[in-house]
Amino acid sequence: MSKMTADVIIIGGGVNGCATAYYLAKKGVKDVVVLEADKSIGHGGSSRNGGGVRQSGRDMRELPYAMYAVNHMWPTLSEELGVDVEYYQKGNLRMGKTEAHLKKLENLAARSRELGLDMNVVDAKTVKEICPYLSDEVIGASWCPTDGHANPMVTTLAYYKRAVEMGVRFFTEAKVASLGLYKGKLRRVILESGEVFEAETVIIAAGYESRYLARTVGIDVPLSTYFEEALVTEMQPHMFDIMLGCADGDFYGHQSKHGSFVFGSDSGLEEEIDMPLTELKTSSLTVSAGCRAIMSYIPLLADAKIVRTWGGWIDMCHDGVPVISRVDEVPGMILACGFTGHGFGTAPAVGLMLAQMALGEETVVDISALSYDRFKPVR
Amino acid sequence: MERYDLIVIGAGPAGLSAAIEAAKNGLKPIVFDENARPGGQLFKQIHKFFGSKEHKAKIRGFKIGDDLLAEASENGVQVVLNATVMGLYPEKEVTVKIGEEIHHYKGDSILTATGASENMVPFRGWTTPGVIGAGAAQTMMNLHHIKPGNKVLMLGSGNVGLVVSYQLLQAGCEVVAVVDAAPRIGGYGVHAAKIARCGVPFYLSNTIVEVTGDEAVDGVTIAEVDRNFQFIPGTEKHFEVDTVCVAVGLSPMAQLLKQAGCKMKDTPGGFIPECDEYGATSVPGIFAAGDVAGIEEASSAMIEGRIAGAAIANYLGYLDADGLKEKENSLEDALGSLRQGMFAPKNRGKLVTKTEEGIDTSMNLLEKGFVADDEIERYPGVTHTVGIHPVMECTQNIPCNPCQDACAKGCISIGANITSLPVVKNDVKCIGCGMCVASCSGQAIFLVDEDTGDGYGTVTLPYEFLPLPETGEKGIALGRDGKKVCEAEVVSVRSAKAFDHTNLLTIRVPSDMTMKARFYKRA
Amino acid sequence: MKDIQEKRKEIGPFIPGPDDDLLICRCEEVTKGEIRQAVHAGMFTIEEIRRFLRCGMGLCQGQTCGKLVKGIVARELQVSPAEIEPATSRAPMRPTEMRIMAKDGGDDRE
Repeated sequence: MSKMTADVIIIGGGVNGCATAYYLAKKGVKDVVVLEADKSIGHGGSSRNGGGVRQSGRDMRELPYAMYAVNHMWPTLSEELGVDVEYYQKGNLRMGKTEAHLKKLENLAARSRELGLDMNVVDAKTVKEICPYLSDEVIGASWCPTDGHANPMVTTLAYYKRAVEMGVRFFTEAKVASLGLYKGKLRRVILESGEVFEAETVIIAAGYESRYLARTVGIDVPLSTYFEEALVTEMQPHMFDIMLGCADGDFYGHQSKHGSFVFGSDSGLEEEIDMPLTELKTSSLTVSAGCRAIMSYIPLLADAKIVRTWGGWIDMCHDGVPVISRVDEVPGMILACGFTGHGFGTAPAVGLMLAQMALGEETVVDISALSYDRFKPVR
Repeated sequence: MERYDLIVIGAGPAGLSAAIEAAKNGLKPIVFDENARPGGQLFKQIHKFFGSKEHKAKIRGFKIGDDLLAEASENGVQVVLNATVMGLYPEKEVTVKIGEEIHHYKGDSILTATGASENMVPFRGWTTPGVIGAGAAQTMMNLHHIKPGNKVLMLGSGNVGLVVSYQLLQAGCEVVAVVDAAPRIGGYGVHAAKIARCGVPFYLSNTIVEVTGDEAVDGVTIAEVDRNFQFIPGTEKHFEVDTVCVAVGLSPMAQLLKQAGCKMKDTPGGFIPECDEYGATSVPGIFAAGDVAGIEEASSAMIEGRIAGAAIANYLGYLDADGLKEKENSLEDALGSLRQGMFAPKNRGKLVTKTEEGIDTSMNLLEKGFVADDEIERYPGVTHTVGIHPVMECTQNIPCNPCQDACAKGCISIGANITSLPVVKNDVKCIGCGMCVASCSGQAIFLVDEDTGDGYGTVTLPYEFLPLPETGEKGIALGRDGKKVCEAEVVSVRSAKAFDHTNLLTIRVPSDMTMKARFYKRA
Repeated sequence: MKDIQEKRKEIGPFIPGPDDDLLICRCEEVTKGEIRQAVHAGMFTIEEIRRFLRCGMGLCQGQTCGKLVKGIVARELQVSPAEIEPATSRAPMRPTEMRIMAKDGGDDRE
């Protein structure tokens, strides 16, 4: 079997993998290999999410780099990559319909403020001023004016495109079977098809499948899976540029630059989905449930036509924040997984930090709290 | 959730046939169709079908549709119209939009018979209003009685392009040209001949360079292409038209099957599910029949539907293996015979240079749309004898034989092989009844009397245009190429119920023109 | 395993064509040139092309242009169109208003 070597191997051609490849190339690393199991780059969650670029509601362990991305990376990303990633920084409104909702939002906002994020709760009147299209049932909302959204599909492929131009070697249909050690260090990446790649550093950014890969060298991370669906409408007249969410998690989404509305929602029956990870079948119930939820907040969309629905697997981490960490026990291994459904908005920062980690540099913000070995028994 | 033995998606020829067959075996099928009326494309088909009796040959498509609906109703098949299936989900669940609501149904089995959609080809101006699919033109004319335009150019010389061109002529449009990038006509020669003799020119190895017009089509430029389908500069021709019809093939609408996770394959007939001989897909209980499982004719879709219906009955325990085998045997023969001849799937894209009888193919027919005067004599249906006799200008082996039953006297013989060219037996006396002329779906049979005295003879030809000429009127006889051959006088116009709207026009022409005059044009 | 850089070398750089301005996806107004350029940038699958350019993502869901895009991509990649996997089919099969979608007649839902 052929053997190929590289300075850094990235397993997973999603937005984090592509961004990491780009930042490594930008830092002058000549020999970067990205291995994508699917035929298409960005086949997983990277192309299936709602496009939120959000700081509000983040755990304190990830807020610093979420803010770093918003402050230092997203505003110039289109220019940097030479592709319009459709970034809008017009704020995030998390809507509430009950006093209990508002209380929840109040707590969320208070915690975020403590961490230095501009976020507060606004009343129904202010909600209407921010977004006049919302239902009167919305009695208040949390408001984070620096949040926004972007096009996840284009962002992923823009990173990919630039990385390709800069010489990163991408391989698709390159499903990794196992990792292999060499003299106590992670070195080998063995594909199902038999090819072997070797590198000093291997970054695993392969969603839930990261777990299977890490296990082949004796590392396990507490991830689970969750299937989430989204829908998109036909093109609509421009209504608003903000990102929407709900205190109750009824739905989330935004109007894209193109004019279509992209919303994520659920039926409430997702926990029990029994479907292999290779399947991406939507449920017969979710789209209707989603429409009911959306219309109860934005009644004006009742006549907007749904053109498409899709679903994707989320790699849920035990404590709701990802593992972004060097693995001390297995030198050469860097894990980046468990993004728990909100990894898109942080991808520029995560990509940059993974590149820094691969080069032994200090990361732009401290992420030691996202270590792979942070999980402890509760009693 | 409401549950049915069989949910059929699509009330076209395949879907209805399957539902009927299933119902006959005791299943309770329900059929959903997104259209306001059932029958799929059948009700747009105003021409007579090919095949044999069991394929409902010489019956017009819409009549076959009526018969199918009647049979469905007799067998208790429930057809729900304006019912759009939105998705095909696990556990064989479908979501259906009916009225202003979505309904969920489950089937113990599902038959997808969603048909096909028209292909498009991009050229400069292809999105200009007035560029339409041939199927759309057919819908406008035959369902809504609206003329698609006045001057039309047809792109595509397959059966759809040819049949629709003829219908455009019937509707009173001028068809300025039939254009095809391929070097040879793709559809049946008899369909091409029908329009060639009306004067429609064919431009093979040509395609559209550009459609002009800002708000609506006002013209179209075509040019010759080389073997690699690249334009040859300097060969451009411009036509002033208001409509460009595109008939460049169909694509199966297999999205539901794909959504359901059926294994798919890419074939020359389109992206289709992998099916066994019964139409069963890779997902147990999900079947496919008709164009969605590979583009063919409505006749084969009906047989495929029957086979799938029987197979579903067997799958659900309503029909035993022997019963299925019996059904299959009878239907397989019928299906097999339809897939014979020059246009059989195996011959797709091939040049067949000789007929099954060993006669040279008419190259004029393939390249210009008509059999040349010096080629026609080589075919067994073309003979000379004293008195009236049929001249059968049937020159390609296609599965069709109604003519041999049409002649009560037994003048015409095709034999056991349905694709054989018809042979005229001159030892049997033709009485000139014209049944054979009206029976020929390809309008390729003429009654000729080469000498009625005074140096004149008569030609009786099939005529499906309105208004009908009147006896005694004088006009022009056109040759197979659509060019004037001589003056002609209408000596009789016959319409009979048995002719099923094919009128028999007898014209009087000079004797030496009786083997040349094949159409009549009013002066 | 597909080596993207290797394949890019094999198909060579993007060379502008005379009909690059030809509209291919009429719903989303994507031209032939844009599709060809995307292929040379490394978008080798219909999935990637759709996501990058939106072709086939409009009201007709690629019913009209799907086959055309496939042909263009195949030509640029110098492979048979049969080797190019078409886009995933996604419900609903016809664009449908939210208010209709919302009424899905569930047993005890409103």
